[in-house]
Amino acid sequence: MRTIDYTIEPPVVEGKPSLSSINEDIARPLETKPTKGWYIAISISLTMLLIGAVSLAITFIEGIGVWGLNQPVGWGFDIVNFVFWVGIGHAGTLISAILFLLRQRWRTSIARFAEAMTIFAVMCAGLFPAIHTGRPWLDGYLLPYPNQHALWVNFTSPLLWDVFAVSTYFTVSLVFWYIGLIPDLATLRDRTTNKIKKVIYSILSLGWRHSTKHWNHYEMAYLILAGFATPLVLSVHTIVSFDFAVSIMPGWHTTIFPPYFVAGAVFSGFAMVQNVLIIIRKVFKIEHIITLDTLEKMNKVMLATGMMVGYAYAMEFFIAWYSGNQIEQFVFLNRALGPYAWSYWIMVSCNVLFTQLFWFRKIRRSIPVMFVIGVLVNVGMWFERFVIVVTSLSRDYLPSSWGMYIPSIYDIGILIGSFGLFFTLIFLFIRTLPVVSIAEVKAVLPNSQPSHGGNH
Amino acid sequence: MSQDNIRKYWKSLRDYYNPEELKKLKEDEFLEGTIDNVDLAGMPPISRRRFLALLSASSAFAFAACSNFKDKGEIVPYNKQPEEIIIGNANYYASSLNCCQNGCSVLVKTREGRPIKIDGNPDHPVNQGKICIRGQASILNLYDPDRLKSPQQKVSNRQFAPVSWKEANKSVTDALNRATEQNKEIAFISNKVNSPTTLLILNEFKQKYPTTKFYFYSNFSNRTKIEAWKEVYGIATIPSIKLNKAKIILSLESDFLNTDGDVIEQVRQFAETRNVNDLKNFSRLYVVEGNLTLTGTNADYRLKLRPDYQKDFLLSLLNEILRRTNSKVNLPVELVNQIKSYDLNSFVLKHQLSKEVVSTLVDDLLNNQGKSIIICGDRLGKDEHVLTLILNEILSNTQLYDFNSTYVNLVEESSIQDFESLVQKINQGQVGAVINFDCNPVYDFSFLRLSDVFNKVSLVVTLTEQKSETATLSNFILPIHNELESWNDFQVRNNILNLQQPVIAPMYDTRQKESVLITWTTGEVYYETIYQRKLRSRWKNEVFSQFSSLDNFDTFWYASLHDGFVNLPVKNSGKPSFALKSFGVSDERKQDEILLSIHPHPYLYDGKFGNNGWLHEVPHPISKIVWDNYAAISPKTAKQLNLKNGDLVQVSNGKFNIELPVFVQAGLADNLICVETGYGREECGEIGKGIGFNVQFLINKNSSSPYNSYVSVKKTGKEYNLVTAQEHHSLDDTFVKDFHRKRRIIQEGTLLQFEKDPDFIQRERPELLSIVHEVKYEGVKWAMAIDMNKCIGCNACVVSCVAENNIPMVGKDQVEKGREMHWMRIDTYYSGTPDEVVVSNQPMLCQHCDNAPCENVCPVSATNHSPDGLNQMAYNRCVGTRYCSNNCPYKVRRFNFFDFRSYFNNEYQYQEPLNFLNNPEVTVRSRGVMEKCTFCVQRIMEARQKAIEQGKEFDGSGVKTACQEACPSNAIVFGNMLDKNSEVSKLRNHKLAYYVLEETNVKPNVTYIAKLRNINSESV
Amino acid sequence: MENKPLYSVAATFNDVNKTLAAVQKINEAGYKNYDVHTPYPVHGLPHAMRLKSSKLGWVTLIFGFSGALFAFLFMYWVNVIDYPLIVGGKPFYQLPAYIPVMFEVTVLSAAVFTVVWMLFIIFKFPNNSHPLIDTEYMKRVSVDRFGISIQANDDLFELNKVKEFFKNLGAEEVFEIYYKIDELKDKPKIFDKKFISFLALTSIVVSAITYFVLNQLLFMSPFNWMHEQFRLNPQKATTVFKDGFGMRNPVEGTVARGYLPYPFKGKPADAEMKLVNPLIPTKQVLELGKEKYLTFCSPCHGNFGFGDSRLRGQFPNPPTLHSDRLRNMKDGGLFHIITEGQNVMPGYASQLTTDERWAIVHYIRVLQRSVNPKESDLR
Repeated sequence: MRTIDYTIEPPVVEGKPSLSSINEDIARPLETKPTKGWYIAISISLTMLLIGAVSLAITFIEGIGVWGLNQPVGWGFDIVNFVFWVGIGHAGTLISAILFLLRQRWRTSIARFAEAMTIFAVMCAGLFPAIHTGRPWLDGYLLPYPNQHALWVNFTSPLLWDVFAVSTYFTVSLVFWYIGLIPDLATLRDRTTNKIKKVIYSILSLGWRHSTKHWNHYEMAYLILAGFATPLVLSVHTIVSFDFAVSIMPGWHTTIFPPYFVAGAVFSGFAMVQNVLIIIRKVFKIEHIITLDTLEKMNKVMLATGMMVGYAYAMEFFIAWYSGNQIEQFVFLNRALGPYAWSYWIMVSCNVLFTQLFWFRKIRRSIPVMFVIGVLVNVGMWFERFVIVVTSLSRDYLPSSWGMYIPSIYDIGILIGSFGLFFTLIFLFIRTLPVVSIAEVKAVLPNSQPSHGGNH
Repeated sequence: MSQDNIRKYWKSLRDYYNPEELKKLKEDEFLEGTIDNVDLAGMPPISRRRFLALLSASSAFAFAACSNFKDKGEIVPYNKQPEEIIIGNANYYASSLNCCQNGCSVLVKTREGRPIKIDGNPDHPVNQGKICIRGQASILNLYDPDRLKSPQQKVSNRQFAPVSWKEANKSVTDALNRATEQNKEIAFISNKVNSPTTLLILNEFKQKYPTTKFYFYSNFSNRTKIEAWKEVYGIATIPSIKLNKAKIILSLESDFLNTDGDVIEQVRQFAETRNVNDLKNFSRLYVVEGNLTLTGTNADYRLKLRPDYQKDFLLSLLNEILRRTNSKVNLPVELVNQIKSYDLNSFVLKHQLSKEVVSTLVDDLLNNQGKSIIICGDRLGKDEHVLTLILNEILSNTQLYDFNSTYVNLVEESSIQDFESLVQKINQGQVGAVINFDCNPVYDFSFLRLSDVFNKVSLVVTLTEQKSETATLSNFILPIHNELESWNDFQVRNNILNLQQPVIAPMYDTRQKESVLITWTTGEVYYETIYQRKLRSRWKNEVFSQFSSLDNFDTFWYASLHDGFVNLPVKNSGKPSFALKSFGVSDERKQDEILLSIHPHPYLYDGKFGNNGWLHEVPHPISKIVWDNYAAISPKTAKQLNLKNGDLVQVSNGKFNIELPVFVQAGLADNLICVETGYGREECGEIGKGIGFNVQFLINKNSSSPYNSYVSVKKTGKEYNLVTAQEHHSLDDTFVKDFHRKRRIIQEGTLLQFEKDPDFIQRERPELLSIVHEVKYEGVKWAMAIDMNKCIGCNACVVSCVAENNIPMVGKDQVEKGREMHWMRIDTYYSGTPDEVVVSNQPMLCQHCDNAPCENVCPVSATNHSPDGLNQMAYNRCVGTRYCSNNCPYKVRRFNFFDFRSYFNNEYQYQEPLNFLNNPEVTVRSRGVMEKCTFCVQRIMEARQKAIEQGKEFDGSGVKTACQEACPSNAIVFGNMLDKNSEVSKLRNHKLAYYVLEETNVKPNVTYIAKLRNINSESV
Repeated sequence: MENKPLYSVAATFNDVNKTLAAVQKINEAGYKNYDVHTPYPVHGLPHAMRLKSSKLGWVTLIFGFSGALFAFLFMYWVNVIDYPLIVGGKPFYQLPAYIPVMFEVTVLSAAVFTVVWMLFIIFKFPNNSHPLIDTEYMKRVSVDRFGISIQANDDLFELNKVKEFFKNLGAEEVFEIYYKIDELKDKPKIFDKKFISFLALTSIVVSAITYFVLNQLLFMSPFNWMHEQFRLNPQKATTVFKDGFGMRNPVEGTVARGYLPYPFKGKPADAEMKLVNPLIPTKQVLELGKEKYLTFCSPCHGNFGFGDSRLRGQFPNPPTLHSDRLRNMKDGGLFHIITEGQNVMPGYASQLTTDERWAIVHYIRVLQRSVNPKESDLR
């Protein structure tokens, strides 16, 4: 009968694996030959990446005129994808940082992976602002560097805030992730027999030697980073939402956007993590580490955030009606009834209706169903951004300059490409680095801590 | 002591005499000064070698990385700088354009001797500094890469080889002589000639070649009108009308604001009667028409009536008027009897015209006798014109005729029948040669199929500027000067003689068409001024002689060139007496058949400008369609024939079957098809080739009014893609109906309403508050005001802007995507019902908002505010995020999605000499850059610079934007709003002033003056 | 083997509680320089080792604040001091807009510097040459064992004693850990041929790439800096005309607005008769005249019109402007001379506008009267 507080939860790791077996399980994928399945997977994702690369090259040479954009609708897939991917990223930080602060032990098994996803998602996201400009070779102008024209950037522009937010977010997540990796890298360094691998691991692990003196600082640093990552993750999507909220476009100019976007981000992020984890744990046979309970908990989070999003949808309509501003009112009616109504209803059904199934424990714990719902949520959340960006722009103030946005194959190609990039990185990651934090998992194994009480 | 004894050895005398010094010298190795203040400790740690090594290494890198600047081309200065040219400053030349036989006087702006912009001649009494949209665009023709650059001779069918002028002239003159010997006709086809000097040359030509027969024609000529005048008043010189004196204007099928007559003058005069500060003389415009023309959209009352019923209408009206007046005018008996059978009320019922409107019309005409005018469309038959003249006579509206400025006809126009007989003669082999004198009869008379007969003539010569259907069928294509390279004079009015002077020396191996004739007539060797001499001598003998006061011809001549025209002394014959002898109406109305009505295209007119992309790209004033013509039909008729937009229908007039795309146009009369000419050119260069449909085939040579004839329409089931630049929302879709009114984008009232309640606009304006204190502007702050009462929506401003600001064409497909680049556009909104539409035009351009939403969101500050209140773009700072465009409530920003100059029509716009066209003062924007209206900042800066040069305080007066300069109705006012006395600040405080979307608190700087409709009601 | 210096003696334990007990013992025994190595952070171990809790928080605090302050000051300087721009009608200093950036910079600097400080200042990483790295001991520890190593530089350190001590504590295994001198021996030399040639190669490659990118690639399509625009600037050549001149001469005999041709070509007499000076000699006009005179006339005629000038002797000497002939000549005559020139004097029509020429005439008059004044002037 342990007295430690976390035992009131079900154990994070099922069964009673020994410390060494943890090493074995987690390091296995890095040491065995990749399976056939892996090769198929990566070749598919690489093909997608290639499609994206080609579309991107053509865009770069011809000009973004090859996209479907036009006069009223100046933003299309480019910004939609950007917001979508940033959203995906958020779950990672949330799981690793916020749950860490909340002492949610079940996070340990998925934190590493979620963080990796964050980084890859943010990479995909960061791509779009860079390529969506008319003269991509001048993107450097968005950085406040001293130049011979004595020109500076415009600090009142949400787009500039984005630059700072996204780059900060990426850097901090990367650091956070790397810090977590160092002990595991050291472990691998000591395990491996392959000379080259050893060199690499040695360089990366910087000479970590599991010293308690280090652990002492290390835990403090990890706590601090977690503490910073938490407000950061909230700020990032808030700022992304400013891109719209700060403008004067009907349908964009809304104060509800920041919380609404953050909720949406967590929502879609969890869906994505859940989807990928379901695959990983199956493929690498680590169901006992990434447990069904963990997944169920994630589904609960999705249910909650999904309803927040649903609330936001309703509230937008209410406020539009309540404001008495006919232009505002029209924009929302137009979303539901106008030429883009289909996308609106996809959004609503995927994000609000289907997630309600998670009220049932059976469904929360049924892998296939939750997988499907997860996919639907991602589709829904992508369309949410589409609805916000496109419908608002296509029919704004002056009826004379209304117009429709029809995406071109290049738009779609680049979207596919971003998924290709994301999954390629994922697949490379799971072959090269431990998908689960070895040290952390060890630390939460039964009997891993002194029996007379960990004082924390 | 012993020291002294020591013997001293010395090496030199110097040593001997001054040993100390030398010892000193010996002591230190270096001479004084060489090594002092060399402190070894202080030496830098880096050794010399190391330093040199570093130096060389770093320089190596430097060399590698340093940029070898791209060659920017060499400087080519003037050898001898002409007196009038100061490099970087513009020169202005008064000249004339005769593109549509109107001889408009223009002022051409040149830079370093290259014309870059055309505007009206401000001193000219008729067009007073304004020029129509074609005139604005005609600068493009000069630099059109498709211009013919050298003479060509036909080698085989449609195959041409270059030939020298000498040879060409020789073989032509030979052929002409042969024709003369064989006494065969030399058919000389030309557009209506309105240059006295040209006429002189032609007559000399005829003397040399007596068998010459002249065929003068002009599309949409006012022949019927002239005939009517001859019949009624016995004169062919029609007086111009003092529209600005008219209270009531009734237009019958006359688009006098856009295509009929001397448009520029008419628009100006009409606008003068729409002055909101002078409500007493506010005119009322009735339009009775079948098509929805620009004039119709500006009407206060509009009646839909098929053109072929105009005659009945006039007769009924005449009947009504006669009934209610006792006029002295004695009409022909048969007419008096005839009109008895025409009753206005029954006519109104029969055609479902609004009874109130017609009765108010009659009342107005009767109550405003002498202050009203009835205008009859040129395209109507003689009878309508006669009846109109009778009505005006009865209502004593003849007071509005201006006999001091009458239209002169130097030549008699040939009728269609003349051309038919020409065809016969050719078939009978009686024609030895055909000379096409800068005209395109093959296209203009498509319905006569000249193309089939020209090959039967031994010599067909075409003098032309560009390839044309006619040119490709001729033996010789002789390239002629553009108007801007030519000398000439034009007489359109009896009181004014316009001069044309070249503003650039001939660019290619071309010759002025008149000069060519001279060489053919006299056999002289050609030299450039050969025609100028003739012109000069004629002026000396015939024009100068009319001015007794002046002594020196040179002074007179140069003065006239300087002004661009001379006012001729006129002996006013006064109004001729009404002398209508007999009159009978021929009856040919078939009401159940569909009537085809052919109109000139508002921009392309008769297609002479077929290769002018600017005109193709400007949205049609009514339908907003670009790069196409179409068959417009009313919604009801569309339902009956079950047609929708873009359906291809086959229109046949018995002789020809033409396929045309349908466009359902609200406001059209039923059972009526309206088509516009000027499209469907098969030969005219890269741009115009094969776009649109040639409707010249449908001209009915037998009808009394060849432009209105009965046709049968068949649906083909095929579809065609018509592209509109502005999405029109169906008038009965409640979801989006009347937004322009609900959102207060368009604010209108009626005259009565304004008189009764002058504040009806101001009361509605929102009061705005700001959380930050606003920026204070001193000195000059720019603002614009647009008077919607004056603006008729002619789009001249748009083309002027295009010419001034180097705006590229994007082509049909890009307009369809919604990527047109025009900085300025005319928004057209429809309200009312599909049958009775109310149309509102609104020029929309960058509003240069004080709180510009675009500026906040630009991450790189590429767009920001200037101290004089301009919302400015730093093009080369722009990265192209398009955020500004998204955040612009007016959607007036334009983005270069491609490098359109290279994208459009495989780099057509990158062909020299089109770079001459681009304004050197304006950046040529690259791909990926956002752009928008700048309030013509280059002009502002020019004015500011002048003020500084002259050491004056710059008060912002005298700056005109390109659109303002072009606006024929002076609807646009621009100036310094901080100057309380400036016109613009007066308009800003006008009772009718409002801002579009003012409630967004962006504080726009373009004021709109609400339109007042002059109708008998207190609300629109 | 013997000549290797000893770093420490280390022992592994298989149970976390045992380890904790052992640490207590060691403390009691009074060893100072020892460290415990565990595969994961063990709670309570630092406490047992009497380690102070980490002070990293201060680093974070300092760098966080300085980041925020820097961001704020920078934005303020940019918007208010260095380059104030009117943007959207807002004041230059707008705190609300700064907050997002300030926040992000705070987080960035705080997070990054905390980690950097820890790794590189406190831990002195990277340090792969530490004696403990690559030892059996370390291998054990990184899997599932808990290790304690007592360093040789501890005052109480005696090899065998310590070994014994560990045994008694119930250690599984005991290791002697030595410095790796053999690695120190074969250190790579800097002036090694391979290394130098490698440097050379990289420098060449680098410069080649920089050259290509900066001078070639960036000027290829689609890169566009609007350096060359498709328009004809003044004094540019063109291929359209055979003579290649982009600037054209006006056509012979045409009249530009405001440039009526000079009617008295070759007729000085008429000019003098008919031409009247349109300008009134105001101060402004005379200023203009003076400026133009000194620019165009003085080189020959001298600053005061005595015909004494910098160019004297290089040309046939210019006449003085104070001769009676010129004094009595009407303005028109002088204007004509300036316009058309006479003898070797060229015409100045193309350099001077009509008004400027008339202004010069006025100025000449002033000069003349300054030399031989009228009665009125004297009075």
